[in-house]
Parts: sequence; structure tokens; C-alpha cells
Amino acid sequence: MINEQRREFIRKTGLGVLAGLGAASGLFPALSLEKTLLPAWDEKPVPGKIRWGMLIDTRLCKGDCQQCTAACHRVHNVPRFINRWDEVKWIWKSPYENVFPTASQQFVDSGTKERKVLALCNHCAEPPCTRACPTEATFRRWDGIVSMDYHRCIGCRFCMAACPYGSRSFNWQDPRPAIRELSPTYPTREKGVVEKCNFCSERLVKGQLPACVEECPEKALTFGDLNDPESDIRKLLESNLTMQRKPELGTRPSVFYII
Amino acid sequence: MKRSIIPFLSAAGIVLLLLAVSYLFMQQGHAEKAPEPPARPVPVDSTKCIAPVGKMRASHMQMLNEWRHSSVREGNRVHVTPDGRRFEKSLNTCLGCHGQNRLFCFNCHMYANVKPTCWNCHLSPMEMP
Repeated sequence: MINEQRREFIRKTGLGVLAGLGAASGLFPALSLEKTLLPAWDEKPVPGKIRWGMLIDTRLCKGDCQQCTAACHRVHNVPRFINRWDEVKWIWKSPYENVFPTASQQFVDSGTKERKVLALCNHCAEPPCTRACPTEATFRRWDGIVSMDYHRCIGCRFCMAACPYGSRSFNWQDPRPAIRELSPTYPTREKGVVEKCNFCSERLVKGQLPACVEECPEKALTFGDLNDPESDIRKLLESNLTMQRKPELGTRPSVFYII
Repeated sequence: MKRSIIPFLSAAGIVLLLLAVSYLFMQQGHAEKAPEPPARPVPVDSTKCIAPVGKMRASHMQMLNEWRHSSVREGNRVHVTPDGRRFEKSLNTCLGCHGQNRLFCFNCHMYANVKPTCWNCHLSPMEMP
């Protein structure tokens, strides 16, 4: 007798709860679950249509000139640490034999051997760094730029080990205090992330040339689309003997050099 | 007579006890009620924002996440509002107007005790020149 009453009570309570839930779902419809934003995609880029590349004429590039480096590092808030072990760099100059260590070094003429050569991320067509990255923080974009999503970088530095060109730097310290003047158009990085040249992708979307190309007083840098046979860079590549860094590794760099 | 008073007294006692307990709970509930948010200046140009204020307040974080993903990963840097206005997907777009109020992000975030990591890298309205 008591058991049956209890059963009846439980049954009615359950029905009541269900009815209440149903009423609540009627009172609060999908409003709270509504998708917050549905942006209408437009101007979505086509992958593989463009491949940005750069040609550096080392004959024109003056040995002591650092204007491209200064401009790049100013625009992108690259920190400048006193200690060389903490160094962060996007574009820099190195001796010829350091930039081309696997090129023939025997009986090289002194003019070439003493030359300072500009080095930056090669934005390889087959980038080893993107394969090493466990979080897909670095990836090859639709336009050939090897880009970084700093939001995803966990600072494991696998990409630094994978890059054969030393194009990546690690923020061992908070970079903010080491930035002379803060550029408001580009974010900084934080301690514990890797950073590198982004081929000025933030300027390319606005139709501007990369900062280094624009700043070079000797016009030694040519920037353009390697997939477009009519572009300046392709014409220069056809009319000159050019080199890539460590081509035997098969990374297919997008940065070319005239020696 | 005595027999009829006792249940009445006990019932009254129970009612009093219930009242006292519920009063305690009411006090507690009252104490937990959030104080009014601090008054803040109206952001400049808020009428031209990409979405109504209520929607932005409720879901700006999802929107910023979506902007980040589509601009960094897919290269789609143009946001088109339902009424056809176009904006560059960038935190600087927001701060172009809202940066005039130096406390724009901080007022609410401090109040709600949320600590987004945006300003580890991006320049906050306080740091904008």
C-alpha cells in the first residue's frame, strides 16, 4: 500500500519535472543557443594562385647598410636584446659563407667572400618547420607565406630545430621592455613564443610592399608573385643566374639571390 | 483545553522557525546580490559598431575568436555586417573607435573578474598612443 503510494508520488513528480522542463524550453527558445555571428564570407583567397617570393641582389646591397632590418624590426615590434643569446631577428645580415655554407667555398673571389648577405625566412614551398610544429601554430598559407599564429604557439621550439636557415627566434624574455618605440599597427609577442618574418602579410593585404623592400635605398630587393610569369621577379629570375639557400635540402625556398 | 493548545503552539513554533530560516536565506541571498557596475563614459561612435551593443556585450569574445581564425588562418580579412558595411577584421578596428575610452575593455573585465590574454601581445586601449 505504502509502496504503491510512493510509486504514484514518484511518477507524478517525474511528470511534473518533465512538464516544467518542456515549459522552460518553450519560454526560452533557441535564443540562448543561437549562433552568435554568421559573417558572410567574401574575397576568400584561392589557395595556390599566388606564391610570394623575393629576389635579393647582393651586388647592390651595401655591406654596412641596416635600413631594411631597422624598418622591419620597427614595423613589427621586434625586440632588441643586449645579450646576443636572447637575440630576436626577422631579417639580418650574415657573412657569405654562413648564408651559403653548402655552396662551393673553394677559391671564392674575395669580393664575394667578404660580402654581407641578407638573410630572412625563405618561405619555403616545402617548409620543414610547419611539419615539426605540433600545434599547427605555423603553417603555409594559401599565398605561399609560411605564417605563424602566435595564439597557438606553445614555445616548444621544434620549428627552430627543423628550420635549416635559423630564421626563427625564441622570446626567452618578455619582449615588451626591449622594444624601443611601440608600433601601434602590429602586435608584439610575449615571452615563450617563437617568432619570424611574415613577408609583411599585414602590409600585403593593404596593397603595400614589404617594409624591407620599400626601405631599401639601393632597390636591391624585388618582391613579387613567383606564379605570375609577367611579374618583375620572374623576369629578373629569367635574365640572371640566381641561387637559393641550401637547395639540396629540397625545401624549395621562395627567396632567391643574385651573387 | 490543554490538549488543543499544544499542537497550536508547536505549529506556531514551526512557522516561526521557518520564517527565521527563510529570513536567514533571504539575508544571504541579498548579500550575494551583485553591486551595480560602476558608471562609465559612453564610448565614442558606438552607434556605428558592427553589431548592436547588447549583442557585442554578450558575444564579442566569440566574434573576436572567429575574426582571428578567419583572418589569420583563411586570409579573409573583411567582415561584412548584415546591413552591408565592411570592416577589417582586426582588433585595431575595434580600438579605432573604442580606444578613445582608455578603460573600454578594462571596466567590464575588472568588474566581471575575467582576465583575457589579449594584452600580452596586442596593444590595449591604455597603451594606444
